[in-house]
Amino acid sequence: MNRLWKEFSKGLWKELPPFKLVLGLCPVLAVTNTANNGLGMGMAVIAVLTLSNFVVSLLRKLIPPKVRIACFIAISATLVVAVELLMQAFSYPLYQQLGIFVPLIVVNCIILGRSEAFAYKNPPLLAVADGLGMGIGFTLSLTFLGSLREVLGAGTLFGVAVMGDWFVPLKIMVQAPGAFICLGVLLALMTYAENVQRKRKGLAAVQGATHDCGSCGGCANVAKSQ
Amino acid sequence: MKQLTPLILTVSVPPHRHSGVTVRNRMFKLLLAMTPAAIMAVLFFGMPAARVMALSMATAVFTELICDKFMERDSDIHDLNAFVVGLSLAFLLPASAPWWLVVTGSAASIIVGKMMFGPLGGSPFCAPLVGWAICRISWPEFMDIDATMLSIDLSYPLARLQNFGLASVGNTDLFSLLLGKQLGGLGAVQILGVLLGGIYLVVRKHVHYLIPAGVILGVLLTSGLLCMVDPTNNASPLFHLLTGSTLFGAFFLATDMPSSPNREIPMLLFGLLAGVLIIIIRTYGIYPDGVPFAILLANLFTPIFDRIRPEPFGKR
Repeated sequence: MNRLWKEFSKGLWKELPPFKLVLGLCPVLAVTNTANNGLGMGMAVIAVLTLSNFVVSLLRKLIPPKVRIACFIAISATLVVAVELLMQAFSYPLYQQLGIFVPLIVVNCIILGRSEAFAYKNPPLLAVADGLGMGIGFTLSLTFLGSLREVLGAGTLFGVAVMGDWFVPLKIMVQAPGAFICLGVLLALMTYAENVQRKRKGLAAVQGATHDCGSCGGCANVAKSQ
Repeated sequence: MKQLTPLILTVSVPPHRHSGVTVRNRMFKLLLAMTPAAIMAVLFFGMPAARVMALSMATAVFTELICDKFMERDSDIHDLNAFVVGLSLAFLLPASAPWWLVVTGSAASIIVGKMMFGPLGGSPFCAPLVGWAICRISWPEFMDIDATMLSIDLSYPLARLQNFGLASVGNTDLFSLLLGKQLGGLGAVQILGVLLGGIYLVVRKHVHYLIPAGVILGVLLTSGLLCMVDPTNNASPLFHLLTGSTLFGAFFLATDMPSSPNREIPMLLFGLLAGVLIIIIRTYGIYPDGVPFAILLANLFTPIFDRIRPEPFGKR
């Protein structure tokens, strides 16, 4: 149970995909112009990520190492098509808003990264916990970034006006440059907050986002941290 | 035999000679060069122009102080760069700009355009243009110079050219344009003042002449070519040179030191690129005055231009 909680909770802050690992930036930048879009995209990713981790983990003994990437892609593509069809059937406006970015979940590096770094080496239950945690972390990040951009750029939150009449929307925030500025400022603030904490503990300051090596498969330190 | 006096040698680290040019000195000369245009702006637009310039400079300085505090650095306010950034941004804004727009633009120039990349010298962009671009994209209705300044009996020639075609500006008197009888960025359209300041900077070698020459050449060549191909729809080269912020961009913005190349051939290419982009954006783009965007785009090419350099001596 303890291990399960550890794998689940690491995606929520310690290895938060977009902000700590700086992974999966394509949807993070492209669809977060409103909080609603961010949340919808995140939901789709939770579904695909959890299921693909589960399936990869079940099949991990069967998938030959040499063609594993192709197998991961085939599994996630199947799931994405299912999610896309479900989205078309039950929330068509959201599907129209997200457009090309729903099919692009197939090549989202978080999906592939979790399959490669975690699900391929761990039993199904842990893999599900990992996928769920990472997915929820991703969704929260996307929703947060989307809310921030929507409030600043349109004065609304989930479509409800939250700023007073005095507020003149900063339209750049809901456009492409705003995504880059917002993401950059958020990363900088997270590093700043971490450095304040480290200073209190008497440690040297760090530059840029930090995370454990365990989250990437190809690293030499991976055996140590697991 | 004469006694030799011992020669005293002092060992010290370079530099051993200093040309006397300091950042503060350079920035002071830039401010001095902007003064004629600023005075003309106050004469034409009155107190609103003075208000925008003062507010923009004050915000820039305070923002930089706060950033320095936040970044735990010694303050570099005394090098006057924040004043130059603030004034350059004000020169590009309409005199009617509301106070919050000026404050946001000026703060964004300093934060996003300068301090985020490390202070002075680290930014790949000309700082005031970043603030201008953020304001222009965010609040097009407040940056629309014609619509916000209906009370003044002048027009914005570039917007007329864009919206109503060449015929509406066909009989514009070039001499009155030179005197600044047009709307646009409040300081940038005081063509005579800008020209005076620019020539002063170039003659005293505070900026290298190749960048302004490149921009002006690029504008003249491109608009001349377009004019030759289709004289019924494209304005004359001189019209493009004397309207909007072409000259202000050429002398003051494109020559911004951190964001422009520093060798001769790259400088010329950089200027030409900016000049060509100005006319392309004005003719085919949706923005009436493409100067700030053209220079921002050219700034991005600076690292590529900087690769054109002589072979180091003795390189294998």
